[in-house]
This record gives sequence, C-alpha cells and structure tokens, in this order.
Amino acid sequence: MRRVATITVLGAREEVQRLWRELAAERGADPPVSFMTAPGDRGTEIRVEVPDAPSNAVGQAVTKLSGSDPLAKAKDELRRFKQLFETGVIARSDGTPEGHAVERQLKQRPAQPLEQPEREKAGV
Amino acid sequence: MPTPPRPLDATLHGVVDYNMGAFLIAAFPKLAGIQGTRSARQIRLAGAIHAGYSALTNYPLGVVKALPYKAHLGLDAAGAIALAATPFVTGQYRRGTRQWLPHVALCVAELSSLLITDPTGRGDYHGNVEAVRQANAIDPGSKLRNGGPAVRRSAAA
Amino acid sequence: MRANVWSGRNGVQVENVPDPTLLNDRDAIVKISSTAICGSDLHLYDGYVPTMKRGDILGHEFMGEVVETGRGVDNLAVGDRVVVPFPIACGNCWSCKHELYSVCENSNPNAGIAEKMFGHPTAGIFGYSHITGGYAGGQAEYARVPYADVGPFKIEDDLTDEQVLFLSDIFPTGYMGAEFCQITGGETIAVFGAGPVGQFAIASAVMLGAERVIAIDEYDYRLQMATARAGATDAINFSENADVVEQLKELTGGRGPDAVIDAVGMEAVSGHGVVHAVDRVKQAARIESDRGAALRDAIMACRPGGIVSVIGVYGGLMDKFPTGAFMNKGLTLRSGQCHVQRYIKPLYERIRKGDIDPSFVVTHRLELGHAPDGYETFKHKQDNCVKVVLKP
Repeated sequence: MRRVATITVLGAREEVQRLWRELAAERGADPPVSFMTAPGDRGTEIRVEVPDAPSNAVGQAVTKLSGSDPLAKAKDELRRFKQLFETGVIARSDGTPEGHAVERQLKQRPAQPLEQPEREKAGV
Repeated sequence: MPTPPRPLDATLHGVVDYNMGAFLIAAFPKLAGIQGTRSARQIRLAGAIHAGYSALTNYPLGVVKALPYKAHLGLDAAGAIALAATPFVTGQYRRGTRQWLPHVALCVAELSSLLITDPTGRGDYHGNVEAVRQANAIDPGSKLRNGGPAVRRSAAA
Repeated sequence: MRANVWSGRNGVQVENVPDPTLLNDRDAIVKISSTAICGSDLHLYDGYVPTMKRGDILGHEFMGEVVETGRGVDNLAVGDRVVVPFPIACGNCWSCKHELYSVCENSNPNAGIAEKMFGHPTAGIFGYSHITGGYAGGQAEYARVPYADVGPFKIEDDLTDEQVLFLSDIFPTGYMGAEFCQITGGETIAVFGAGPVGQFAIASAVMLGAERVIAIDEYDYRLQMATARAGATDAINFSENADVVEQLKELTGGRGPDAVIDAVGMEAVSGHGVVHAVDRVKQAARIESDRGAALRDAIMACRPGGIVSVIGVYGGLMDKFPTGAFMNKGLTLRSGQCHVQRYIKPLYERIRKGDIDPSFVVTHRLELGHAPDGYETFKHKQDNCVKVVLKP
C-alpha cells in the first residue's frame, strides 16, 4: 500500500523546491517527491512517497520500535527541512540535541545541558 | 532527600479501606465460593471491623478522627496476619483449600498494599514548613490582606 | 551550575548540572535572577504528566540578564534584562505569523511524541516533560533560550523582578482567559480556581471592564486574596457548600455567569467527596488521566449562550464531559496554552502605567536551594502559600 509523508512549508513553491534540490546531495537517496501550492497563504505542500510497511503486524511493530520505519524517517526529514527553510536552524533541545529523530523518541537524554563530548557527538 | 515514592497516600488508602470492607462483606464470599461457611463469616467480620476502625481513624476519609493513622496501619497489618492465621488455629483448614486460601490471599493483598502506603498520614506532605517560614523574606498573611486592590478597574489599554 | 531537577513522583532535588551553552545561532544564554514555581509544575511533580525523566530541569517562568548570544541574534545585547516567555516559538511558521505562538510548528524536536498524544505537535516549552521537547527549564542559575530574537522581552526601567516576572506565563495566561470571555462592560464572570493564574484571570476581567467577578476555591485564604487584592466582587468556598452551580445562580438572579473561566485544570477537586474520591482512584489507576470536576461545573454553571474559557492545564482524557449541556445551551468553548509573545508588550505597558501590580500574588520568596520544600508547601497550600518565587 502506498504510504505518503507530508508537510506544509511556508514559502513559495519555487523557493521550496530550490532548497530541497540543494539539500538533495546531502540526503543521498532521493525518494519520489511532489510539491503543490497550498490553499490561501499557507505555502507549499510536500509529499514524499515511502516504501510499503512490512505486511505483517510483527514486522510493523519491529520497524516502528527500532526506529527504522521508513515513514517515520521520512517525517523526520520533512520536519527538519521545514525548520531549516522557515527558521534557518534545526530545533535542538537537551532531550533531543540532534534535532527531531525517531530513534530518540524512546531514548531521550535528561532535559539538562550537555557536556562538551555529548555536544560533539550530537554534531553541535 | 525524598524517600522512594509510595503511591498510596492517606486519602487513597481510605478509599481502598472502605471499598475492601464493603467488598468483603457483600461480594467476596460468593465469588470465592465459600458462601454460608464459617470462612465467610470470618471474612465478613474482618471486613466489618476494618471498615469500622477506618471510620474512626484520623485521616482524610475518617468520620470521627480519633485513631492515629500509624495505629490504623498497625491494625491493618495485625488484622491481616490474624485473618491468615485463623483457619490454622481453628483447624478448619483441613476441610479443603477454600477454607484457608481466601484468608491467606487477603492477608497477602493487605500486606502488599501496606508496602506501597505512605505512612505519614497527612495526605503525603513531606515538606518542612518551618524551614520555609524561616527562609521566606515575605509575610504571606500580609500579602493576602494588605496593600489594597492591586488592579484598577476597566482602564483602557 | 545548580538546578532544580525532577527526581521521581513527589520529588525534586537541587543538584549540580552542566552549564548551558549555545547549540544554535539563534540561541542566547540568560543568567537567571528570578524564577517561580507554577501550578502546572505540580502536575509534573505529582506524576500525572508522562515522559518525565530523572534529571529533567523544571521551571518555565524565568527572567534575568543576557550573558551570551548566538550569531543570529541581533536584537539583544549582553547585559540586557529580559523576561522569557514560556512557549518556545520560532516566529517564522504560519502559526507564529498568526500570533498562535504556543502552537509553533517548528520548536518541538519531539514533535512525534506530541503528535501521538494530541494529533498534531505543539510548541516546545521550557522544563515541561519530553512531550514539549525535553528543553531544560528555568529553575536554575542559567538557561539556554532558543529563538532568542523572538521570545525574550527587554525590560528597560526600574520595575522590580517580582513586578515583571509573571509576564513570562501567569499574567498573560490569566489575561488571555479573560480576553476569551469577550468582555465589553457590565458582565458577570465566574473564575474557578483562585491560585495564581486564577488571581490574574480575576484581575484581568476587572481590568477589561467586567462588573462582577466571582472567585471560586476551597481555601479561604486564596479567596481573601482574590477579593482584597485581585478585585473579585464575590467569593464562593465550595468546601462549605459543594453545589457551585446553585450558588452561582443565586448570585446572578438565576441567570448564571455570562462567562466562566476554568483556571483549575486536570487536578480538580470536587466539593462532592465521593465524586472526588472516585476521580482520584481512577486517576491513580491511570484509567482517567484528567480530573474534570471544575470543567463539568463550569459548563453546567455558564448561562445559555455564554462562553467557557479554559486556561487550566489538561493533558489527556477526562470522563463524563457534559456534551448535552454544552450543545443545548449553545456554549462557546475556548482554550489554549497562552500565546505569551502576543500579550507581553501590551501587558507590560499596563504594569508601567500602574493599572496592575502583579507582585501581589507573591507570598514566598526562597533561595533556589529551598525548592523542594517550596514545592511541598505550594502543593499542600501550607503557610498561606499562593506563589513561590525562587532566587538562584
């Protein structure tokens, strides 16, 4: 079954597409993506097609819990892209210093400042 | 240094007390299949006594707050052990599992709930009000009453 | 640095933790001069909000001096005195551009967790569990403030910390609650809850022109503050008489209040002892996450066609929401975490003009090390406690 990750970015379609292409090199594999202007003043809708989920419930549970579910990873990427386009930075917290990552959802750091080695590991 | 949290505070313990008392009197004998036997009477009596001294305990759900909370907890423990011992003391345990197992099971349940009960009895307050009063630079009472209204009615923005 | 961290249910401890550093170009570091304990912190303390981790720094009401700024922050200089709004908002997304700062689309790096609970992610918040991002809070000596070009508000005159600190959360929150009521002059407003947010909701309703403001609580000392300092015209103590709906009808000639503000939230206490006990058991067994006693009463008490304004914090699901009363009386329900950035400037102007002195709610000023006792005192309403300010 076709699965789609989607997000709306506040910007004109040409600019959104331009940044997406610029970052494509860093991203590596380029999944099928479509851009559509959202109604009113809401910007541009981005849709990314994602490989099917495993067909059985156990397989689905395993991919979800291990954080390797392609849909969740696609949503991560879309959220980071939106943050970069709209704000210029990736949102970083003390619990999730690398920015939004599905692997982190179950394994949060405590919400207190990072030491130097942890900052390096998080790529800050 | 906070102790490991004990989730059952005095109010919740009271809720459990009354519910268990009612349950033991009303539904338990039938459910345990001991309706009409000596065991049923013993358990009903235990439930009634438990509810009785709960109503006399000095904790949030007590009716006449006379019995200290810690004494109540002591009675809970002693009563549970007494209930468990009863079938063996009277010899009725020989008449089958149903004549002693419910007593022991209830004893285990009661002792388990005591393990997760916070024994301080004032709900679960464990702060040091005196330290706070000493450390406080303000007199709270005067903030409540003095100074007049801190807001002007309907001033335009 | 020293910080007040969550150490399990009913436990906070002041510990040594690393100092914050800049993680992004738009960050700033603030040296905290004053911070406070919020009623919503008690939901974390009582263990009702999931995703807390041992070691999380609490606190979302703080102010202080800027000591470092990232390259992307032009509007602040080292040495500026600022009050920091509790919602973390980027200023660039559609929601922020429409002044809906507490539902910013970009500031929560744990958006996935929030999405599962609420259907959509909401803004990051300082020190308020990992659902809101896992950001370190402000009950500490220093804090990192993301999007510092949007959030922190500069204070450039001599007002004391306690006069402006509450611009970070409780004053705008109470004000937004009153603004939702669409007061044009002459209304009767009922406010459930006379804690600090309730006090500001009452004061704001008075400022906006309500003719009668009725405070409802179970503690006489809080009702006293509401009438003597916050401007409430009437008070109802529901521990004396649990039927609040009836008492409100009596005070309003049978009409009911024109609007009702719920400044209580998920740990509501019902005057009806049995209802309260049942709710508490359900909540302890995690069958029901939110106790909705105040919200139920608010809906039943509001006059037909009126407005119910909910600023008390809720987290999950409540049982028995009166949908029949809500629908048939044609009520409007408005709610939200406060969009502080929208209100902070106009409310600061009101403080400067002398329309209100927010420091009236402060009953306790303690050094940061006393935070654990401060939490207990605040939670159990000891020593006439209304609001605790902590000085690092």
